Amino acid sequence: MSPTKFKIKTNLVTGILMGLFSGFMLFVMPKQVRIPAYDSGAPSPRIIPGICLVVILLCSIILIIQSLVFKKEKIVEFDWNNEKPAILLIVLLCIYVFLIIKLGFIIASAITFVIILAYCGERKPFIYIFTIALAVGIYFLFSKVFHVSLPAGILPF
Amino acid sequence: MDFTMIAQAAVQTFTLYNIALIFGGLLIGMIIGCIPGLSVTLGIILMLPLTYNMEDAASAIILMLAVYVGGMYGGSISAITLNTPGTNSAIATTFDGYPLARKGKVKKALDVSLFASTFGGLFSALLLLLCAQIITKAVSKFTSVEYFALGVMGISLIAGVSGESLPKALISGMMGLLMACIGMDTVTGVSRYSFGSSILRYGIDILPAMIALIALMQVVDKLREFKISGGKIKDANKIDKDGMTGKEAKSIIPACLKSSGIASILGAMPGVGGGVAQFMCYNEVRRGSKHPEDFGKGSLEGIAAAESSNNAVVGSAMIPLLTLGIPGDGVTALLLGAFMLHGITPGPTMFTKQGVMAYTIILGCLVANIFLYPIGKALTRAVAKVIQVRYTYLACAIVMFCFAGAFAASGHYKELIITAAVLILSYILTLLDIDNTPLLLGMILEPIMEKYFVSASMAYDRDYSIFVRRPISLVILIITIIMVFSMMRVNRRVNKLNAEQEAAMAAEHAAGETAADDPALAADSAKKATEESFESAIAGAVFEREHVKNNPTEDCEDKTE
Repeated sequence: MSPTKFKIKTNLVTGILMGLFSGFMLFVMPKQVRIPAYDSGAPSPRIIPGICLVVILLCSIILIIQSLVFKKEKIVEFDWNNEKPAILLIVLLCIYVFLIIKLGFIIASAITFVIILAYCGERKPFIYIFTIALAVGIYFLFSKVFHVSLPAGILPF
Repeated sequence: MDFTMIAQAAVQTFTLYNIALIFGGLLIGMIIGCIPGLSVTLGIILMLPLTYNMEDAASAIILMLAVYVGGMYGGSISAITLNTPGTNSAIATTFDGYPLARKGKVKKALDVSLFASTFGGLFSALLLLLCAQIITKAVSKFTSVEYFALGVMGISLIAGVSGESLPKALISGMMGLLMACIGMDTVTGVSRYSFGSSILRYGIDILPAMIALIALMQVVDKLREFKISGGKIKDANKIDKDGMTGKEAKSIIPACLKSSGIASILGAMPGVGGGVAQFMCYNEVRRGSKHPEDFGKGSLEGIAAAESSNNAVVGSAMIPLLTLGIPGDGVTALLLGAFMLHGITPGPTMFTKQGVMAYTIILGCLVANIFLYPIGKALTRAVAKVIQVRYTYLACAIVMFCFAGAFAASGHYKELIITAAVLILSYILTLLDIDNTPLLLGMILEPIMEKYFVSASMAYDRDYSIFVRRPISLVILIITIIMVFSMMRVNRRVNKLNAEQEAAMAAEHAAGETAADDPALAADSAKKATEESFESAIAGAVFEREHVKNNPTEDCEDKTE
């Protein structure tokens, strides 16, 4: 197996991750979900999240038992060559969010999508112009038609 | 039936504005539906920000229903011209649609598909109109206790059918419920799991979560595919001019009727989506056909069966949604989210308190199906060209629109951060082989479930045994348990077959294409068809096709009869 590929035992990993997650959430519940000082007759706000977390914990234990005891496993092969574009795109979209907040919607879109298009191998200038024009179009569509002001950032709109 | 309300609703439905929305919705639905990899759910999500400022919530829902109807037909366009289903509900359309297209009869295949889609859609919309009143009357005695039980049923069923592993599906559903719990509790005012963060203090809105879970994940997947394949586009079959004749239309009506009937029953059952219905209908129509040997080689009946089934699901899936407030599948879950964003809670109270609106929505669904035929006739050729547009043009537009739409949920930066965070979570879930449909459903159902839970608990002085002491609630919960376990058994059976047959199905489909000159392409497409089906559609496919294979005698018997 090449180093860029590895197998994920999804039942085991899910069981461990979700078990830890639900355990942690149950542990912090007394601090994170306080019982109201005044009893309005309503059920405790902890009931529904509590049930959810207990079910997650139970399912995690079942998954771990399935994997370790009954050897029932669903293996997903993580191929870096296949996953790299997806991870990069998700990272770019997170940067996009950061840029929207800092620089505004139009500039952020122009920067991010030029990078995405270049990454996808687009060479023709038209698609770049089209995309930037689209960002401006969507900005004004939201502000003028839907009356939602997208972040203008450093642009003086 | 309440004719006064229907008459009032008709006046509201047939406004120029609503008709324009239906036209637009159908067209957008057809375009999104025909692009492989983009689902109808994405189309509906993209419509949500557009509908924010609509004064009439019914118009907003009608627009989304039109997208749904258009999308279900749109999926067949690429199924026929490219042999790649545009949506997972159009997989069965490729079985006969593409072989017929390879014979040069593309227009005929598309016409049959459009006719069958319209037929199925109208059939189920009429059924919806008829059933809504009856079911609503039957459940009018339900109290918050029963509604909570129904909510439990809705979430359990989806968890039971989606994905191979019930624990994983349950984890996904519970994560959804938990995510919706974050933030201020509306009843007690207590902050839940906000960890002192201002972003989490007001909770996670459904819209950014829906956008990230469904829309952005699809775009990322599709862009990844684009990058890996180098942006190659398959050659589509050219659309000729020789359409369907009147005689042919008449010949496929029995198939349409049978398929619409079966799909309507299946669609009305929560937890069964269009993905599964199409295979069952295809199989049944094939069994009853006078020419079962033509199936898989370009049978008009085959196309009609597949296409009328997926459109019939649209109307019938609305039956449990509108009357009980239970979504049947991922798309109706989204529609439930849309209802809630517009401040409507579907269920019997909707028919009593907002009866005109309920009927306006139903009539809108009916009208959208009627208009599908002329719009499809006029615009299919143009829409088919969209498949040839480079995906990068669309992807950028969709991503920008998604983020702008997410921001519009409250006009606050936190929505963007939540969108990005849920996108990362969604990717991790994919790596862990966890389906995100139950998560979405959990998020959407939680506010409704909690509302009923709180009011039931308060009404019965926090006596939680009431949920099993009231007979109707108990019956609903028992049915839920029985259905979940029976579905698990079916799932296990299907999974077993799935493991053995997934490869065989691709090979079988490719073998059917050997007459065509490009077997590699066919194998690739068949493989794609298997991959593109999310939820349990493929499991259903394999199950059904295996059933056909194991029972060839049934076909022979039918022939001899």
